[in-house]
Amino acid sequence: MNRRIFTLIVSLVILVPLQVLVFRHFVFFNLGFCFIYLLFLLSLPREVSIGLGMVIALIIGIIIDLFYQTIGIHAAAGVLIMFLKPYWLNMNVPRSGYEINHLPLIPNYGLAWFIGYSLPLILIYSLAVLFIEAGNTGLFWIILSKALITTVVTLFFVVILQYLFYSKSR
Amino acid sequence: MGQLLAFLVKYRAFFIFLFLELICISLIVSNNDYQRSAYLKSSSSLIGSITESSDNIGEYFGLKRVNRELAEENARLRELLLSSPKTISDAISNYTIKADTADSMEYILRSAEIVSNDIRKANNFFIINKGSKDGIRPEMGVVSPSGVVGKIRSVSKNYSQGISMLNTRNSFSAKHKNSNRIGTIQWDGLDPKIAKLLFITPDVSMQVGDTIVTSSFNAVFPKDLIIGTVKKSARDANNTYLNIEISLSVDFGKLSYVYVIENVRKEEQDSLSNANPIAIR
Repeated sequence: MNRRIFTLIVSLVILVPLQVLVFRHFVFFNLGFCFIYLLFLLSLPREVSIGLGMVIALIIGIIIDLFYQTIGIHAAAGVLIMFLKPYWLNMNVPRSGYEINHLPLIPNYGLAWFIGYSLPLILIYSLAVLFIEAGNTGLFWIILSKALITTVVTLFFVVILQYLFYSKSR
Repeated sequence: MGQLLAFLVKYRAFFIFLFLELICISLIVSNNDYQRSAYLKSSSSLIGSITESSDNIGEYFGLKRVNRELAEENARLRELLLSSPKTISDAISNYTIKADTADSMEYILRSAEIVSNDIRKANNFFIINKGSKDGIRPEMGVVSPSGVVGKIRSVSKNYSQGISMLNTRNSFSAKHKNSNRIGTIQWDGLDPKIAKLLFITPDVSMQVGDTIVTSSFNAVFPKDLIIGTVKKSARDANNTYLNIEISLSVDFGKLSYVYVIENVRKEEQDSLSNANPIAIR
């Protein structure tokens, strides 16, 4: 229990500065951004209530927005995925079922399940951020390709970070 | 009443969701209106100082290029100095009265450093390390040694945020130097090196490589500042206007030092055009 909270706090303290200081400057293939801090939102356990999850997403989103100079956009997208996350978790139960006090991450439930869980959420997030930011659908295809590349890049880094730094809960 | 409460409690997650999204939407809307300064500002001193210190690290790697650019600009200014007429030591000229210097002093330039800059979004902004303390105010123009960059949008004590030319909601009045035709520069959100020049009729002979400069039709920029050169020009489907692509003279990805231009007479100019609302902008 304590270990789980410790993991969450450490990942928050590391991921948000990593996002705004390092990954903000990275653009992959001239199209894709990397929203590494989504790993924190994705790793919030099922026991966190939906309302609290959305408030957390709002606060972190606004902090990210202040650095990206897009006030409200990342916050709106974050609140959206935190609203969808519990329903998606209930629909997409791993074969062995959920265990209490386990973070929904690769070390606990495996890579295949995690990709199935996180890919749609990251895609929805990227689409929301990029379309709200553009403010119209005039650049539809460009934004769609940006969102797809952003999703792949973000998922890649989210998976790599877990293999490097997260260990199995006991 | 009881049923209503039960309904609210049952779907409370959804109502919290709606409520939080409304907060976000109001933040987005209040921030998109770029004339009004919102409560939460990216140009606030805390955000500015954090991005500045992280930017300092990257700056070391650009020092060589910045030095070269400054040296080039120095050389250009020195050339201008040499080409200006020498003081005549004729006795008669000693008695000529010089024009009032206040007449010619219309623009004040302040140098500033880019702290944070985006080029990959559809609506890009930048932050510079000068603010209201240094006399920066909204609506001032920002130029770099190689051309027009954007204009200031909101100001805090030590930092200010500007709207980059690479912003699909922003457009500038521009002029084709050879024909003196006025058009509008608008970025289309695709390539940070290319912008569109709109509203030029097909009778203008537009050659690849022609220079596009700022017009004197706004009070933000002095006239004849370079914006870019014509890259491609073709008639549109209806033959009403030309589709012109401009390759911008500023490399927005490498922007480091800029000048903020203050037009001393902007207020006077603006009050005049506001007093005559039908005036052509």
